[in-house]
Amino acid sequence: MKSLDHKLGVLKKILCQAYHGKENVEVGDQWQLNVMRRIRNLGPVQPGPSFFMLFEQFVWRLTPATCILIIVGAIIFLTIGFFPDYDVFTLFINDTEELSLAQLF
Amino acid sequence: MQNHPSRQSDKEIIRRIIDGDVNSFEYLLNKYQDHVLRIVTKHIPYNEVEETAHNVFVRAYQALPGFKQEGSFKQWLSAITVRTCYDFWRKQYRSRELPMSNLSERHRDWLEKTLSSESNLSFSEESREKEAGELLDWAMSKLSAKDRMVLELVYLEGNSVKEAADLLGLSVSNVKVRSFRSRKRLERLLTDLIST
Repeated sequence: MKSLDHKLGVLKKILCQAYHGKENVEVGDQWQLNVMRRIRNLGPVQPGPSFFMLFEQFVWRLTPATCILIIVGAIIFLTIGFFPDYDVFTLFINDTEELSLAQLF
Repeated sequence: MQNHPSRQSDKEIIRRIIDGDVNSFEYLLNKYQDHVLRIVTKHIPYNEVEETAHNVFVRAYQALPGFKQEGSFKQWLSAITVRTCYDFWRKQYRSRELPMSNLSERHRDWLEKTLSSESNLSFSEESREKEAGELLDWAMSKLSAKDRMVLELVYLEGNSVKEAADLLGLSVSNVKVRSFRSRKRLERLLTDLIST
């Protein structure tokens, strides 16, 4: 009886041959005409990359890094207890004599 | 008098297209349609090849202004073709428009017969059978769209990891990890199939 490894090797070889044995598809003149009709319908191309292409190229690429940065920033702020609204509020409550609204402007 | 397109380089043709001569694109279409169809046929089911190749040329036309003139147009077009094939599978997997292929008793019989055959010489004949192609489709359908493309480019077509990464627009390390993982997954699938 043949070993499992041998059978696996044979099967991989067969599948590889099946992949390379795929016959090419021939397209007719009608296909070419359809492609060129679509291209003509699109009109002349824009010389520079469009806004959406730039958006796709740069913004989406930076998305993972931005998310990580936001998460790390949130963790840091929670750890060091940085709450600016709360600090301003406590300043008003605790130091009502020296700090008035007039001093703020 | 205008030069005949065949005497001009791809770069000159591309410059003319960008300058507004849409009809010059026909030259690129004629020149590269066989190349594009060869790539698409390898990755996409036969009944979807024409439409996918059509989309490749439309995408290439729209992206022409972004083509860097120092590179080869053929290589650039190959990358667009491979990414269009990847997008095809991504959409298919998301919408599940294509039914997940299942292995029938016929496939199992064929597999048993093929693997128990004593002569290795007969494999090349038998592998041409429809069942081999269907078995490959079944195995590939178990992988994600990205893993599928990586496996086809690296292991079945013999591209280097760097070449596959350039074609798919992924990092080399990503392709390396995916190719290893998808190959192991495929081997597990096939091992399970043989041992049952």
